[in-house]
Order: sequence, then C-alpha cells, then structure tokens
Amino acid sequence: MTFKYVLIAVLGGFLTYLLILPRKTVLRKGFIISFVVVMLTFSVKPEWSTALANHVGVGRGVDLLFYLSHLVLFFIAFMYYIKFKDIELRFTALVRELALDSSRAHKTRPGGQLAGPPDAAPL
Amino acid sequence: MEKPDDDFAGILRKTFVLVRAYNEGLVIGPVVAELCSVFPHVVVIDDASTDDTQAILRSLPVSVVTHLVNLGAGAAMQTGLRYILEQDADYIVTFDADGQHRVEDALAALAELSSGNCDVVYGSRFLGQSAVNLPTARRLTLKAAVRLSNWTSGTRLTDAHNGLRAFSRKAACGVTLSQSGMAYASELTNEFVRRGMRIHEIPVKIIYTAYSLGKGQSSFNSMNILIDLLVGRFLK
Repeated sequence: MTFKYVLIAVLGGFLTYLLILPRKTVLRKGFIISFVVVMLTFSVKPEWSTALANHVGVGRGVDLLFYLSHLVLFFIAFMYYIKFKDIELRFTALVRELALDSSRAHKTRPGGQLAGPPDAAPL
Repeated sequence: MEKPDDDFAGILRKTFVLVRAYNEGLVIGPVVAELCSVFPHVVVIDDASTDDTQAILRSLPVSVVTHLVNLGAGAAMQTGLRYILEQDADYIVTFDADGQHRVEDALAALAELSSGNCDVVYGSRFLGQSAVNLPTARRLTLKAAVRLSNWTSGTRLTDAHNGLRAFSRKAACGVTLSQSGMAYASELTNEFVRRGMRIHEIPVKIIYTAYSLGKGQSSFNSMNILIDLLVGRFLK
C-alpha cells in the first residue's frame, strides 16, 4: 500500500501546483484539475474504478485507467503538436519579414534589379 | 494564333520568374543564367543555403531574397510571391532550380497564360510526351498525389506537384500558404480553386537527372506531405 500514499502525495502536490498556477485558461485548468481529482479518488477508492469499468464494459478498473491514460496522453500530444505548428507559422512569418525587409533595404541598380543578395549569412 | 514578337516582349517585361533554391550550387548557375537570357526579371529565394549558391547568384543579374533560416519550399514560395507582388509584375512563372525544367516550357506556359483564356497554367509531365527518366516509384507517388489533390480541390489535373507554373497577378493576390514544406503545392491549387481561378495544363518535359532525383521528395516523405495537408486543414 506504500505506493498508494506516494501516488496520493504526488497527485496532491500537482493539484496544489495547478491551483496556484495563474497562466492557464479556466477551461484547460478545469480539465486538468478534474483529471487529477479523478485519479486521486481512484487512488483512495480503487474499487470505484472497477465499478465504473464494469459499468462501461471493461473488465478491470486498472484496464479502464490504462485506456483513459492513453487517450489523455494522445490528446496532450496532439495539443502540443498544434501549438508547435502555430509557433512554426509565427517563426516563418518572422523570418520572411526579415528577408523582405533586408531586400527592400538594398539599393536598386539603374535597370531596376536589386544589387544582389544581402550579406547576412544563414544561421 | 502566334502572338507578335512586340506583344510578347511586353509580356516578358511584366513577367517575374520565381526560383526557390536551397543548396543548389552545383546547378543553379546555368539554370538561372539561361532564365536571365530570356526573362528580364528573375527572383531567387535562397532558403538559407549553406553551399556556394549565394556566391554564384551574386554574379548573376537576379534579385535575391535570403531566408536567414531554412524554412522549406512552401515558405520560400510565399516569400517569393510577397516580394514579386510588391514589384510591377503582371505575370509570375515558377521554375525549379535543379535543372529539370526547360525555359521553352516556361515560355509556352506564359504564352498560354497571356492568351487570356485562363488565370493559372500548370505544366504537366503526364500530358503528351512522357517524362524523361522518371522512375516507376516516383511516377506512382506523383499519380497518388494528384489524385489526392484533385479530391481535395475538386480539380481534374494530371500533375499537381510540378514546379513549372505560370499565373497572373490576380491569381497570386490573396494567396496565403500556411504549408512550409512540399505540401504547399496542393494548398496552392486549393487556393486558386477556392478563389475561382481558371486553371489550364500544358504538356512539359521534365528531365530527371541523378541530381534532380536526389533533391526530390522520397516516396516515404509523401506520407509526411499527406499528414501536413490533413493537419493544415484542421488548423485553418
């Protein structure tokens, strides 16, 4: 039963951290807190997870938690992928503006062509 | 009917050729020099090359826009469109830097575009003459890609990932590519279709060399393109 107390301590610490964390949106914070509270409840009352598992057609409570954990992890990975793509778009826009600004800054030749590539070396 | 030379010279003066380059030092010199002998305005987007591409371009009468960080083909295309639309351009031709396209095909695409029957002209390696040295795996990949592109855009193209295109200023205005990589080609078609542009295809000859095949996309990477397109649709 020692692991049960370790689990409760870790989840309780995480819950406290979430409650004092100011920078999450209410929706996201609510979702994570709900998840942690459910995990805490199942740590204290594991037989409840089995009852719930039987109710939804899964044999054991541990199996239900295993499946749910996978779903949550997949959701978190997907959210971070979306976030990463968003940052990539912003980064691309920044590099593009720098490139265009640099080209505009170059003096033009009489024929209308730019004087050549900017001197900046690729990073 | 063939256009009078004077008219076509006027069209050439209003045409900007867009070339995207990333570490193309081995071939870009002759490719761009040949373009410059025909087209007065050639713009090269150097996507942060680390070889001697920059040095070679300095000796040529071209405009160069340099990304400080390598972003990918789609991002370079969007940068090029942004740059060219700030210039006095009526027509835009896109041309690959790896030497697989022919300048005469670019001229044919421009002639078709300037006839006024369409807003966008795509070169197709699957119309008319067969592509030279096209490996079977690449052929199958390209065929699958065009099927996907036709499915998502509602077009009936025969070659959606050909780098040789010509389009009008009207077609280019308002194009916003979010795909940084090779998936931009399908996104570009979708953008044209969404805005009601008329797309024509003309047969072009693609000359595959060991170099251009090495620079091209692997069949495995086409799966990444597919994923990018699907995620891109989700993000939009």
